[in-house]
Amino acid sequence: MRDRTPFEPVIQLRHLSDDTKQRIFDAALQVLADVGASVSHPEGVELLVRSGCTLDDSGLLRVPPSAVERALSTVPSSFALYDRSGSQAMTLGGNNVYFGTGSDLMWQYDVETGEHRPSGLDDIARVARVCDGLPNIDFVMSGAYPTDLGPQGVYLATFLTMMRNTTKPLVLVAENEVDLGAIIDTAADLRGGAERLREAPYLLAYVEPVSPLLHPRESIAKLLLCADAGVPVAYVPAPLAGATSPISSGGHVVQGMAECLLGLVVHQLRAPGAPFMFGVNQGSLDMVSGQPSYTAIESFMNYLTIVEMAKWLRLPNWGISGCTDSQAIDAQLGLEVAELTLLSMLLGSNLNHDVGFMGFGLTGSLEEIVITDEFVSMNKKLLSGVPAEDLDLAVEAIAGVGPKGHYLGHPHTRAHLRKGPGQWRPGLLNRDNRDRWVEAGSVDLREKARRKALAILQTDPPAPLDPGLLQRADARMNTLRRETV
Amino acid sequence: MADYADLMQNVEGGKKDLVMTQVAQFLSEGRPPQEVLQEGLIAAMDAVGAKMESEEMFIPEVLRAAKTMEAGLEILQPHLAVGDVTVSGTVLIGTVKGDLHDIGKNLVAMLLSSAGFKVIDLGINVEPRSFAAKVEETGADFIGLSALLTTTMPMMEQTLEALETAGLRGRVRVLVGGAPVTQAWADQIGADGYASDAGAAIKVAKELGAVSS
Repeated sequence: MRDRTPFEPVIQLRHLSDDTKQRIFDAALQVLADVGASVSHPEGVELLVRSGCTLDDSGLLRVPPSAVERALSTVPSSFALYDRSGSQAMTLGGNNVYFGTGSDLMWQYDVETGEHRPSGLDDIARVARVCDGLPNIDFVMSGAYPTDLGPQGVYLATFLTMMRNTTKPLVLVAENEVDLGAIIDTAADLRGGAERLREAPYLLAYVEPVSPLLHPRESIAKLLLCADAGVPVAYVPAPLAGATSPISSGGHVVQGMAECLLGLVVHQLRAPGAPFMFGVNQGSLDMVSGQPSYTAIESFMNYLTIVEMAKWLRLPNWGISGCTDSQAIDAQLGLEVAELTLLSMLLGSNLNHDVGFMGFGLTGSLEEIVITDEFVSMNKKLLSGVPAEDLDLAVEAIAGVGPKGHYLGHPHTRAHLRKGPGQWRPGLLNRDNRDRWVEAGSVDLREKARRKALAILQTDPPAPLDPGLLQRADARMNTLRRETV
Repeated sequence: MADYADLMQNVEGGKKDLVMTQVAQFLSEGRPPQEVLQEGLIAAMDAVGAKMESEEMFIPEVLRAAKTMEAGLEILQPHLAVGDVTVSGTVLIGTVKGDLHDIGKNLVAMLLSSAGFKVIDLGINVEPRSFAAKVEETGADFIGLSALLTTTMPMMEQTLEALETAGLRGRVRVLVGGAPVTQAWADQIGADGYASDAGAAIKVAKELGAVSS
């Protein structure tokens, strides 16, 4: 992959005052210090207690503000991810904005038949292939859960499938430290050693605690493994406002931050300076139906605060884009994808996952990924602001053309078309008049996106991986299956 | 077979002076004028058309190429036999009376001339009888009527009536266009052709051909 200039919006959205952000942070510190958390990992608890945290008789672990401040002083404000070949592909931090898919969807809208059916390993390959061919998709998560595989070694199989089908950096989910270990070993093998992987990380691990305030053994184990290996990790709770976190936006964020920051403290105690990503998922619960929502407007409001807090703390952030609650590839999908993706871009949110998600993270759509790619493409132009050459006020050209003339023949017009970014050209969006559109078969956006996804699937896959690497990965897979059975 | 690649390149790039010099050079070398026209200038505009189709060239660049081609043609003209050049016909074009919006009409005029039509642009706000008088005067093969406003569309019908009254209706093909204009409207007023945009206008004019041909 090309090492491109990161996209950073010139037009930016901020809505919280510094005072409000300080109060939110202080409240999170208060929750950590006074309420504490349940941490089910003996080694992690020991690490925390040795560094000034306290454990009471009921098993609640309390973290003093000084421990959080110390972690914030050692954690890097940015880190890079590298592609399969080892070239730097993403610099996460600041206001750099990147997009990619989400993971583990149980269902897919089949791109060939339109059928809603269970996901399989093939879908992971397809998602990776389509993402590989889309210029505005920067990283890849699995997009599908392989329901056609047995439970053992699912995430290693997922990782191998992704690695075969895209060269872009990967964001991965794992069950525990054992399969994550096998994944990291395989990535190190690809790089030619653990140190090379540390220098040029190929993957970021996504790890969740459980809201409210519960840190399972596996979550802390994966976090510590990443710290040891120098593999970037996002430690991101997924509280549901009104159900597993307070319903108020402020309360949701305060609890989520307390959960994420506990992870940060353990992680930085284990390996000061290791790459860590901050985040809180934004979901809320519909209080009539009991249905969780990714894209309720209250969820979006939580999201604004979460990303602003990450910027204020100067931490690379976990974000979300290209996602909908809709069950159909329809106008609701377009509307929610557009709003959420634009918010992420305006916020300068760094690692925006879940592109291609439908129906609260249960169904995947390749069309939705393709549509988001187009949306990102056009808004990169918008949010880059008016370029210097367009601030040329063209009074001379206006004088040259005068009343009744036109600009099509004026040199100013030609010069501008070839200067700077030029006119943005749609790849999917319609600009045809009625007659031409009808003549071309009256094709709507969904169908155009479907055809583009299918066309990408027809192109050549990335270069095959070294057979030795795959053999060694198979051996790890066999060990993993034996150990888990 | 002469190599016209360089000439074509210069037409495409709008290098007017170079094109004029090169055309003169070819003639002095004894190249057949018809060959310079077909394999040089017209081939260049065909290539430009293809690049526009593939979004490699933009309208203002096509316009400049067309003007450059015309400059080359002027040098060639005295050496060509009558009938060699005007392959496609002469088009009178204008916005109908009451309509001052001319960018669509300009686009059509531009693309028609780059496609080898001789275009006489009567400008904006053209009286029905002025169209008729100009047909008489120039012997044009086509009239292109443009209207952007629904309020000026009826003037298309009146222009057709003026042609009828002058006894000229049978001598010209009348093409209509503009944002609110439809095929149904064209049929209703008895126009010969309708195009939904500038690109389509060229196609329609070529398909219809001049009355005499």
